[in-house]
Amino acid sequence: MASQVIREWSGINTFAPATQTKLFELLGKLKIENVNTLTILVMGKGGVGKSSTVNSLIGERAVSISPFQSEGTRPVMVSRSRAGFTLNVIDTPGLIEGGYINDMALNNIKSFLLNKTIDVLLYVDRLDSYRVDNLDREVVKAITDSLGKAIWNRALVVLTHAQLSPPDGLPYDEFFSKRSEALIRALRLGAGLKKHDMQIEGDARLPQLYDAPSEAMLTPWGLFPSSQTEIHYFVIFYLILSQGSAIPVVLVENSGRCNKNENEEKILPTGTPWISHLVQIITEVALNGSKSIVVDKKLIEGPNPNDRGKILIPIFLAFQYFFAIKPIEWAIRGDIAQESRPSWETRDTSMVSRRF
Amino acid sequence: MPVFASAPAHLRTPIRLPSSFTSRPELPNISATSSAPQRSSSRKCQLSYSSSSSAPSQNPEPLKLEALSPILKNLPKVIATSSAIVIVFNLGSHLFSCNGAGGGGGGGGNGFGGGGGGGGGDGGSFWRRFFAPAAMADESQNQEWDSHGLPANIVVQLNKLSGFKKYRVSDIFFLDRRRGVIVGPEDSFFEMVSLRPDGVYTKAQLQKELETLATCGMFEKVDMEGKTNPDGSIGVTISFTESTWQSADKFRCINVGLLPQTKPIEMDPDMTEKEKLEYFKNQEKDYKRRIDRARPCLLPMPVYNEVLQMLRDQGKVSARLLQRIRDRVQKWYHDEGYACAQVVNFGNLNTKEVVCEVVEGDITQLVIQFQDKLGNVVEGNTQIPVVKRELPRQLRPSYVFNIEAGKQALRNINSLALFSNIEVNPRPDEKVDGGIIVEIKLKELEQKTAEVSTEWSIVPGRGGYPTLASLQPGGTVTFEHRNIKGLNRSILGSVTTSNFVNPQDDLAFKLEYVHPYLDGVYNPRNRTLRVSCFNSRKLSPVFTGGPGVDEVPPIWVDRAGAKANITENFTRQSKFTYGLVMEEITTRDESSHICPNGQRVLPSGGVTVDGPPTTLSGTGIDRMAFLQANITRDNTKFVNGTIVGQRNVFQVDQGLGVGSNFPFFNRHQLTLTRFFQLKEVEEGAGKPPPPVLVLHGHYGGCVGDLPSYDAFTLGGPYSVRGYNMGEIGAARNILELAAELRIPVRGTHVYAFAEHGNDLGSSKDVKGNPTEVYRRMGKGSSYGCGVKLGLVRAEYAVDHNSGTGALFFRFGERF
Repeated sequence: MASQVIREWSGINTFAPATQTKLFELLGKLKIENVNTLTILVMGKGGVGKSSTVNSLIGERAVSISPFQSEGTRPVMVSRSRAGFTLNVIDTPGLIEGGYINDMALNNIKSFLLNKTIDVLLYVDRLDSYRVDNLDREVVKAITDSLGKAIWNRALVVLTHAQLSPPDGLPYDEFFSKRSEALIRALRLGAGLKKHDMQIEGDARLPQLYDAPSEAMLTPWGLFPSSQTEIHYFVIFYLILSQGSAIPVVLVENSGRCNKNENEEKILPTGTPWISHLVQIITEVALNGSKSIVVDKKLIEGPNPNDRGKILIPIFLAFQYFFAIKPIEWAIRGDIAQESRPSWETRDTSMVSRRF
Repeated sequence: MPVFASAPAHLRTPIRLPSSFTSRPELPNISATSSAPQRSSSRKCQLSYSSSSSAPSQNPEPLKLEALSPILKNLPKVIATSSAIVIVFNLGSHLFSCNGAGGGGGGGGNGFGGGGGGGGGDGGSFWRRFFAPAAMADESQNQEWDSHGLPANIVVQLNKLSGFKKYRVSDIFFLDRRRGVIVGPEDSFFEMVSLRPDGVYTKAQLQKELETLATCGMFEKVDMEGKTNPDGSIGVTISFTESTWQSADKFRCINVGLLPQTKPIEMDPDMTEKEKLEYFKNQEKDYKRRIDRARPCLLPMPVYNEVLQMLRDQGKVSARLLQRIRDRVQKWYHDEGYACAQVVNFGNLNTKEVVCEVVEGDITQLVIQFQDKLGNVVEGNTQIPVVKRELPRQLRPSYVFNIEAGKQALRNINSLALFSNIEVNPRPDEKVDGGIIVEIKLKELEQKTAEVSTEWSIVPGRGGYPTLASLQPGGTVTFEHRNIKGLNRSILGSVTTSNFVNPQDDLAFKLEYVHPYLDGVYNPRNRTLRVSCFNSRKLSPVFTGGPGVDEVPPIWVDRAGAKANITENFTRQSKFTYGLVMEEITTRDESSHICPNGQRVLPSGGVTVDGPPTTLSGTGIDRMAFLQANITRDNTKFVNGTIVGQRNVFQVDQGLGVGSNFPFFNRHQLTLTRFFQLKEVEEGAGKPPPPVLVLHGHYGGCVGDLPSYDAFTLGGPYSVRGYNMGEIGAARNILELAAELRIPVRGTHVYAFAEHGNDLGSSKDVKGNPTEVYRRMGKGSSYGCGVKLGLVRAEYAVDHNSGTGALFFRFGERF
């Protein structure tokens, strides 16, 4: 939070030259589109590698990672600028605390985000967790409730710990495909995105994407580098939302033992250099035409049920007076009229006039 | 006195049955105590009777109140008042002054002149005979008796008996000469004889008995003779000829209550035939005028017809028939509660029309007096109109006194809670014949009372053992100033704490001012203003876990504030209340710290304080002012102890936008409860109550600002049984439906029920969604059955969400 001071993005220099080239290229692309600031929000469960991803992205130990315990409950924003371009990365604490959504953390995040504009959301989870459970849905729901459904138009799913060997000798692709499919489904459910909004079902054909890469892949953004072979192994997973945009899934390996290619770039088991790829996808999402999310009070608190119908209260009151209180009053009068009186009470009323 | 006129047949002879009200019908003291009112349904009264101690001294003879016994029997069961006061109900103790010398006058026949004087003086009147037949026998019982000293089995005339001996009467026979049969004790004449078998009587007593029988007017001729028995006792045979008159086919009942008695003109024995004729004519005219001036009776047509039927069946009008008519007419009066009504005379005999003269007991005056503790009449503090407005109209002068009206007055006055003792006492008016003065005697309660009750509680000290320091003095201080200005205004204050040393821990206070008769004490509109300061502390059912959630740290909701409202009572149960409430609401956790958010226990055992907000302001303290209106329509009544009818309640709280965060809201709820009687039953004490189906619906909703403490909760003994308070959820709009079938079984009832509560999907509209945070379903049903054991309900309820059942014991009624 205190790191509002915008520092020079020196970490970029630590990247392999090939990556650097790529990054500058992408930054240039952004600048062309008149995007001088990019704010990335990183969210996810605890212990999935959010902070590490942030550090990898920045290229320095900008935020402290706490691998064995729950981190603090405060979000941190890291701002770096390079050549007139500012990159803000907001690292948030894990949303899960002991099996429940940590409301306090969520509240902190909300108040931290107040009056900020979020360009991209990185929803971070691990590739190597095999199961998608309710908790994922809860997290997604919490995010949706806090930031609104529209955030998913500017989101990408980041799967960490990408360097693994899938169990039972599954092919890596297939494992990845299944994992992301399950996650996307959870995401869809959690975010309450309606099924009929989906133009492509969650079980998007990964092999098909492999097979017919270039044209289809390029059209949405059309700024991929020419090296189609690289794209070939890029795994991009679409979830088409109502607006026609997709939630891409990106793999990340933050470990220091991450394999590197001949250019000293960190690569995935598929051979893709992931940092440049990540930034590329981020760029694409940032430029996908949907609006950035401006976090204001209204957005955080959601539609206030306390305000709903408030204007109509005088009408309600009038209605109640005429259609509840009055009828009951008439009914009481009816009761009084119908009340069965003891005979002595009714009998000698006619004789009152007599005198002595 | 007299006396049936065995007058010449051509005379229309009013017979005067002297209405001496000798008996003092001392009605029982009724002391009614009741437990503190819980719900209106579970009110219980205990009645005990004891006769007033003054009775024996005034009336040394034990009285047999046959004629009045119906009242005696049904009086106690009706009065059911709610506070522990003693209510004495007295009937007039004096003779109606239509007795006496004038009494005999109406007849005016030749044959009874002598008898008239004698009868009037001793009060041994017609009625006396009815009411006190056993008198003389009782006096002489257990006395030594003398043998008759005569041979056995001979018949002795009364005047042949010795005047010095005390005879033991072994048997009494009644011989109807006309029919020639011996009548048994079931005959209506039998009760007129005061002699009893095995009694010991002197000759004079027997003679007097004969004389009274002869003069009572029922008999043309009466004789008494003894038959000696071998054991020295005698058997008495009374032979008689019943008086009869010509048959009649019309019947008329008149109220002669407040008519002045006609003074008969003394008949000069030296009158000529012509003068006599004149005299009788005059008398006839007088009587006619008297009838015309008399007012009609309350007696309804069916009873008239009944009497006519009796007349028709009988043919000749006989004394027995008149007796039966009298009994019938009086029975009707007494059954209807006209306790002071008496048939005093039958007139116009020997014509086609029998005229029954009744003194109904017209009220001539209503007296309200106050007594001090010693019973002295004092000037009361209470203003008379306050009492007067509680009296039924039927107790006002010119109405006929009715004991039910008296009881109604008792109940109404008692509900004022101003008096420790209330007596409604009808007494004969000395100035107006047949009139009744209704006296209402009131003993006022102390105006100012203060009360301190203390209690010591031992709290566990260090190490769990109580120490001297852990003895906490607690208690309640109450003061009350009642009946300010005599207008039943009152101020009541009370402070309760469990520890006087540290009263800030839990101090409950209440200060209330009640101002009845807001529209004036003469205005029939009954509005009461109440202004009060209060505080309260309640466990919030909003912060309760759902099934399977272990323990949700409790949130206490403290409210302190002031309210002013006006209650208009339409009926005893239906009312409309509206007013303003200003309060400060503080939410606290277990350790009394103010907490702005609900807490949650994590599975790890830790506690987080990031739960739903407890207040609107988010600080843990809210202030707000709102208008509150509540209209209750309740026409339920008890049928043999079971409640039947319907109850509708609508309540609305309208926020004014005054307070923390400017709360503006409209919170409303409608409750409809109907008790269907499933079978027609005969009403009456001891009769079985009908089976009842209860249908209940409750809708609650809120538009606008809704802090969690005002959210509607589902679950609990008064919401959906089988769940804990708030176990189903807390929501903005709720709907509860319930049905219960009650079957009476041996003086109590068993019941089966099914209930459902639903948040209508509005749980999410409560800030922080406490329903979901504490893992509640938001809807739930239950069913079960139970039995009512006195005030306690024992019920087995199955909660449909978890499918488990449990046995509950609850106090009071669900509906």
